[in-house]
Amino acid sequence: MEAGNDILVRMVGIHKWFGRVYALRGVDFEVRRGETVGLIGDNGAGKSTLIKILSGYHQADQGEIYFEGQKVKIRSPRDARNLGIETVYQEQALAPNLSIARNIFMGREPVKKFGLMDRKAMDEESMKALANLGLRLRSPELPVVTLSGGERQGVAIARALHFKAKLVILDEPTVALSVKEVEEVLEFVRQLQREKVSVVFITHNLYHAFDIAERFVVMARGLKMADVKKEETSPQGLSELVLKSAFVAV
Amino acid sequence: MQGNASYLKRFLLSRSTSVLLVLILIVIFFAVFSPEHRFVDPDNLRVLLSLGAEFSIIALGVGMLMICGEFDLSVGSILAFCSFIFLKLFELHLSLLFIAVITIVVGGLLGLLNALITVRAGIPSFITTLGTMMFWRGLTILLSGGEQTACDVSALNTPAASYFLSFFTGQIGKFLPVQFFWFAIFAIILGVLLHRHRFGNWVYATGDNKDAARAMGINTDWVKTVCFIVVGLLCGFVACAQIGRLACFTSRTGDGWELKAVAASVVGGTSLRGGMGNMFGIFLGATTISVIENGLVVLRIPYFWTYVFFGLVILLSVLSSMYIERKQMEMHR
Repeated sequence: MEAGNDILVRMVGIHKWFGRVYALRGVDFEVRRGETVGLIGDNGAGKSTLIKILSGYHQADQGEIYFEGQKVKIRSPRDARNLGIETVYQEQALAPNLSIARNIFMGREPVKKFGLMDRKAMDEESMKALANLGLRLRSPELPVVTLSGGERQGVAIARALHFKAKLVILDEPTVALSVKEVEEVLEFVRQLQREKVSVVFITHNLYHAFDIAERFVVMARGLKMADVKKEETSPQGLSELVLKSAFVAV
Repeated sequence: MQGNASYLKRFLLSRSTSVLLVLILIVIFFAVFSPEHRFVDPDNLRVLLSLGAEFSIIALGVGMLMICGEFDLSVGSILAFCSFIFLKLFELHLSLLFIAVITIVVGGLLGLLNALITVRAGIPSFITTLGTMMFWRGLTILLSGGEQTACDVSALNTPAASYFLSFFTGQIGKFLPVQFFWFAIFAIILGVLLHRHRFGNWVYATGDNKDAARAMGINTDWVKTVCFIVVGLLCGFVACAQIGRLACFTSRTGDGWELKAVAASVVGGTSLRGGMGNMFGIFLGATTISVIENGLVVLRIPYFWTYVFFGLVILLSVLSSMYIERKQMEMHR
C-alpha cells in the first residue's frame, strides 16, 4: 500500500436506505490529498446522500469510512468538522440575517471569559479570511442577505479555509448563479487548490466541473457508474457517460 | 464626517430607534391628555412600573424564544399553574425561600416539557404550547375550583416574609418598584446572553437557518430547549412577584398574556420567522404594550378599547419595520 499515504478519505461499500428507498447500493469513493473530484450524475443519483454521509448529516447503514488511513465514525456534522471536513451546502450554509462575521464563526465563536464572544477577533479574522480568497467586502457586520450569490459562496468557502479544512465539499455551488458569479466561485475553488485542500465538487453542470476537477465520479441510481481522470475524457465524453449510466438497467 | 453621518443614518434606521420614538410619543400623548395629567402622577407611574413589569419580564423570554424560531402560547397558563403551586406550598406553611425556589423550578420544568414535546416529536411549538396552554390552565382551574384564594405573605409577619416582599414587591430609593428593577436586570442579562455570548449567536443561527446551524455543529434542539426553560423560569419568578403583590391566588391570572407577549416582541422588531430581533427592542416593545394598557385606563377609556389600540400599534409597527428594512437593504447596496 505505497499509495495509502496520499489518500485523504476512503469510503468503502457504503449502503443507505431511506425507508424502502435504496439510495446507495455499495458505493466506494476516495479522494486524494489536494485533489479536486467532480461528483456528477442526474437528480436522485445518490450524490448528495453520499456526501451527507461524509459530512455527518446522515449515517451509512453499512460500509466503512477511513480518514487519513484511520477508520472513523462520523456521527454528526461536528464530528466531520473535527476531522477537517467542511461542507458548503447550497442555500444551507449561511444564516441570511446574521452578519458575515457571525456566519463565519457560527458554532465556533472565539470566546473571552464566560463564553462571551471576542467580537473584535471575529471581525478582523473574517475580513482576513475573505481577503485570502480575494474577496473584499465593505464590513464584516453586513448581513449575508445583502451579498450577491457568488459572495455568499465566498463567505462559506472562506469559513472552510479559515478553519483549516482538509476536505471541502461543495454541493451544487454554481446553481442559480450568474455567469460572472460562477467564474467568481470557480476562482475560489482554485484558491482552495492552491492551498492544497482536497475538494469534492458536486454539480449538474459538466462544464463547470470540467474546468476545475482532476477526476470525475459519475453516479446513477445509487451506484458508482464511472471513475475517470480528466485526461481520459472530455465534457462530451462525460455527458455521454452520465446519459448512458442513467439508462442502464440495474 | 462621513462616518458620523452614516452612524446617524444607521441610528435613525434602526428598529429600536423607531420603537423608542413611538413609545415616547405615546407617553407624551397620555401625559398630555389624561385628566389632570394623571398618567405621569408618581402613584400611577408606580402602578405602571410594577404591574407592567410582571408581564414584561415574561415577554423578554418569549422574545428570545421567538428569535430562535419558536413560540410559547402557554406562558399565562404556566404562570397560573406556578401561582397555584405557590398557594398550595404556602398553605403547608413551608419556608418562603423553599416555596419561591420550587415555584420557579416548576416553571422551568413546564418550559422543559414544552421543549421536549416540540423538539423530540417535531411538533410545531405553536401547536405544542396551544395544547399545554389549555392543559395547565384547565388543570389549575380544576384543582383550585376556579376560585380566588387569599395567600397573604405579609400576614406571616416574619423576617423571612418581609425579606420576600422587599425582594419581589419592594421599592428602590422609596420610589422605583423593584419589579421594574428586575425587568431591567433580566433584560440586561438576556441582552448580554443574546448579543455578546456565543449562545446568543446559536439562538440567532437556529432561528435564521436551522439547517445551517446544524451543519455548523450547533445543537439546535438544545438551544431551543434552553430558551423554553428560560421562559418557564421567568413565569415562575413572576408568579412569586404577583402573589406577593396581590396577596391572593387567582386561577385567571395571565389570561391573554401569550398573545400580548408575541405582540410585544413583534412591536419590538422581532420576526415571526425567527432569526431577527434584539433585546433592547423587545424591552421597548413590552414597555409599549404596558404603557398603552395603563394609559387607556388612566384616560378612562373603556377597557374594551385596549385591544383596538393594541391592534393598531401592532399593525403600524410591522408596517414601519418593513419600510425600515427596505431602506436598510437599499443602504447596503
